[in-house]
Amino acid sequence: MRRIYESGALHRDDEHFTPNKRDRSYRPQALRSLNSTRLSRSLLPNRFGYRAISISVSTPREEFASDTAIPFQVTMKNTLPVPVTVPTNSPVLWTWDVDGTTNASRVPLHDPPEESGAFVFDRGERKQFTKGWQQLFRVSESEWEPAEPGEYTIGAEVNVDNADKKGLRGTTTVRIVPETATDADGR
Amino acid sequence: MTLLEVNDLTVKFYTQDGVVTAVDNLSYQIESGEKFGVVGESGAGKSVTALSLMRLIDSPGQIESGEILFKGEDLLEMSEEEVRNIRGNEIAMIFQDAQTALNPVYTVGEQIAEAIRHHLGHDEAEARERTIQLLDRVGIPEAETRFSDYPHEFSGGMQQRAVIAMALSCDPDLLLCDEPTTALDVTIEAQILEELEELADDFDTAIQLITHDLGVVAEVCDRVMVMYGGKPVEKAPVEELYYDPKHPYTVGLMSSIPRVGDDRDRLQTIPGTMPDLVELPPGCSFHPRCPYAEESCTRKEPPLLDPETGEEAAGTANEHAAACLEYSGELQGGLDYSVEINDSQGEPTAVNPEGDRND
Repeated sequence: MRRIYESGALHRDDEHFTPNKRDRSYRPQALRSLNSTRLSRSLLPNRFGYRAISISVSTPREEFASDTAIPFQVTMKNTLPVPVTVPTNSPVLWTWDVDGTTNASRVPLHDPPEESGAFVFDRGERKQFTKGWQQLFRVSESEWEPAEPGEYTIGAEVNVDNADKKGLRGTTTVRIVPETATDADGR
Repeated sequence: MTLLEVNDLTVKFYTQDGVVTAVDNLSYQIESGEKFGVVGESGAGKSVTALSLMRLIDSPGQIESGEILFKGEDLLEMSEEEVRNIRGNEIAMIFQDAQTALNPVYTVGEQIAEAIRHHLGHDEAEARERTIQLLDRVGIPEAETRFSDYPHEFSGGMQQRAVIAMALSCDPDLLLCDEPTTALDVTIEAQILEELEELADDFDTAIQLITHDLGVVAEVCDRVMVMYGGKPVEKAPVEELYYDPKHPYTVGLMSSIPRVGDDRDRLQTIPGTMPDLVELPPGCSFHPRCPYAEESCTRKEPPLLDPETGEEAAGTANEHAAACLEYSGELQGGLDYSVEINDSQGEPTAVNPEGDRND
């Protein structure tokens, strides 16, 4: 009977193994030789980067009964086949607002450190963020006030100067109607 | 004497989803030799609070404001070197997962001895001697032989004991225990808690015990702080918290403890989950899950109040304070729950919210 050790199926590794010695002839295919994010950050001018990013805001419908939460989705897309890095004014990369009131708060919520941030988009990456506006405006550290029925613009923008001009802002309009004017589902 | 005083601590994480406010305006103090419990669900900010005390918050996290006074000195103003002298020496931490906390390529003994050599200036032999004593003290059998074992050769309970030995190696004044018994079974848990208490009494060490197990808190702690959504919602001496809870969240936590012999069909739980810390609900953060919530709860965020007077809590050590609009008189329907005390065990074992007005 043929023994397993005579079959050649077993490979004996008799050589002394030294973990810090590396076989240079073999390189994993998945290993990238370039940090393309860093490279495109240094090679791609910011204005091209700005142009490559599109941003949109969407809500499931346009009309909402008062006192119901308004869910909205912010979608950002990098249209270029290379990574894009957008330098931002602070570590807060992007903000949302209602009629220009950031985070629907009339008092500043965050006091970010005075350092810049970087919003990194991978090649062709689409980022989606789901948020909600409770139809309330924060008026002090601990108090909120309901929004009156009417039309409101929900916007989202990347935290750069003149985001609107650079095409890094998206908006949508919603209407809040008094509850009596809608059916039970809030439609 | 106040050993640790945390004032208005705010810790934020800047992520691409938004700004996560993990700890929001948190203040508390711990006296020397005191056992202080921090309770809350996952994501309440308990661990981040402990890591902030050690200045171990990593990017993208930032300690945005506040002060952490340890023996009167602000840890946040210190240089990295000064903090390193305090870390592991005067303030030590028992991390949640012992297996991750231990370095797999060094022997357990060496890892403990390293801290002793570094902080106490002992030579190799003295450090080894002290390490063996410590391992023996925390109940590792044959400590001398086990000194040169690697972490994988220890069982989960033994690893946790080794981490406790490491934390106690330099006789710290403050021990931060971040869920030290979560990964262990109940018998080992009981042993370790007993050891911790005993060791704290022997070394006169103050303990900040982070847990989501209210039973553990009742057993070990003198005072408790209940956290929700990065904020404290109730602070009280442990007996008052159990016999007379003032915040609906505390009541919910206590009524969701399963008990042997309970004849209810289903375990009572707090509906819903902890809110997203990027976007806390307006008003009281707990209102979407609170059975007693009213419209005012959605419009106003209550500060920590003295339940008797309704005035803002003064922040003194032994006060009982809760963050609920009930105590400022703004809740119309009130909080209608009752605490049942099971006399046979002599402990408050049941808290039953009676009316669920959301029905």
